[in-house]
Amino acid sequence: MPVLSPTETTVIRGITLRKEPAREGCFSVVKDNSKLSFNADPDYEKGKDMSEGNRRNRIHTHMHNEMQSIEIAAQCLVDFPDAPWELRMELARQCWDESRHSALLLRRLKEMGGHKGEFPVMHYEWYITGVQDSLAARLAIQNRTFEGGEMDILKVHAQMWRDEGDAVTAELLEGILSDEIHHVRFANIWLKRLAKDDPRVLLKVLTGISFMKWVSQVFAPAPEEVNSSGAKVTDTVHSSPTNVDDRRLAEFSDQEIAELLRQDGFGAIVPRPA
Amino acid sequence: MGLSVQDRGRTVATFRHIHVEMMETLAQWTPSAPEMEVKLMLGEHIWDVAQNADALGKRTRELRLPLQHSIKPADPYAGLLADIRKEADTARRLGSFYDVLLPGLESRFRAYLDQTDELLDGPTVRILQQIQDVQSRMMKQSRKLRAELPELGKVDGEWLKALTRRESQIASVVA
Repeated sequence: MPVLSPTETTVIRGITLRKEPAREGCFSVVKDNSKLSFNADPDYEKGKDMSEGNRRNRIHTHMHNEMQSIEIAAQCLVDFPDAPWELRMELARQCWDESRHSALLLRRLKEMGGHKGEFPVMHYEWYITGVQDSLAARLAIQNRTFEGGEMDILKVHAQMWRDEGDAVTAELLEGILSDEIHHVRFANIWLKRLAKDDPRVLLKVLTGISFMKWVSQVFAPAPEEVNSSGAKVTDTVHSSPTNVDDRRLAEFSDQEIAELLRQDGFGAIVPRPA
Repeated sequence: MGLSVQDRGRTVATFRHIHVEMMETLAQWTPSAPEMEVKLMLGEHIWDVAQNADALGKRTRELRLPLQHSIKPADPYAGLLADIRKEADTARRLGSFYDVLLPGLESRFRAYLDQTDELLDGPTVRILQQIQDVQSRMMKQSRKLRAELPELGKVDGEWLKALTRRESQIASVVA
């Protein structure tokens, strides 16, 4: 992949990231969590506000994230023309999957009386993934980490919608989750294959993951930071326990799943490796 | 007499190269096109074109060439593909791809099918017929999108005609 030129990058909070993909004027693109507009109604459990406006905001954000995922997979096809053909086929298929997801969520948003551009959006995943100069690092960050995390979140969210009596949205999220499992799985399979062929790939992956962690720290909201809706940013999010069954389907090893469960606070009941 | 194995292999490998290039073109346009509905259509068509390239690439091995083998097209056609890929305006992108490139390929497939022995070269015939179906759907989808969002159809007709002429004047895509 050729080195990104200064016209292809942007600097936010002192970090050089990939410049944003193009957006229609109806979208308000922000560079900071505090400019997002999630609510945190105290009547709901922390981070699980399901008031009407926040429901649309959730769908809108998810729709935009799926669109961002198409762009990330498509950019991989452009930036790495020499990648193995079978891997390029997986990325091409991912482009279609993410397109369907985004279209489904746009349709649902409209059914709920919403419209594209209704809420502010961010390009967080694109910024971090797009600047990586190896396909292995991009797969490790976007597919294995971000989409892996999405598997955990989607499981919780499908239940949240079901609990609120919206079985249509719950089923939609279940369908999306089922597709995302394969995006994580093919990344896991190819990362193993690429690393076996060339162990230096692991160094690229580690560098990419360290970069991602650093950016996450820099972008993390301050403890009392308030967003554009007046909600404390930390009150708009909730943790999602590891989705063990789907992580297993996505070919995470038992050891990796155990590590995630330890991070969730289940260390005492997770068996130690022999 | 139909085409030789070598002739068929070179043509199929050239068609494969063109489809890989088309896949990359659509992929390049996806982040840089502002319109959401366009991104969603391109995302679907990236997969369509990739599958077409894959089918052609499997056929190359059956024609005494390596698996997924590509041969660069004749220079005038390679130049046309490169120029289309460089287009920055969404309406011109859609016009050049769906109104020039795909119909042009359709004609080239028909010419190949007229020349080849449909029994001896049956697998290629089937693949090209399937690709024709897929491309026909892609063109239909692009027309529907431009009917829904008329701004995307506003392209200089003379420019489009000149591009169509340029495409049709290239006698063969095979180098």
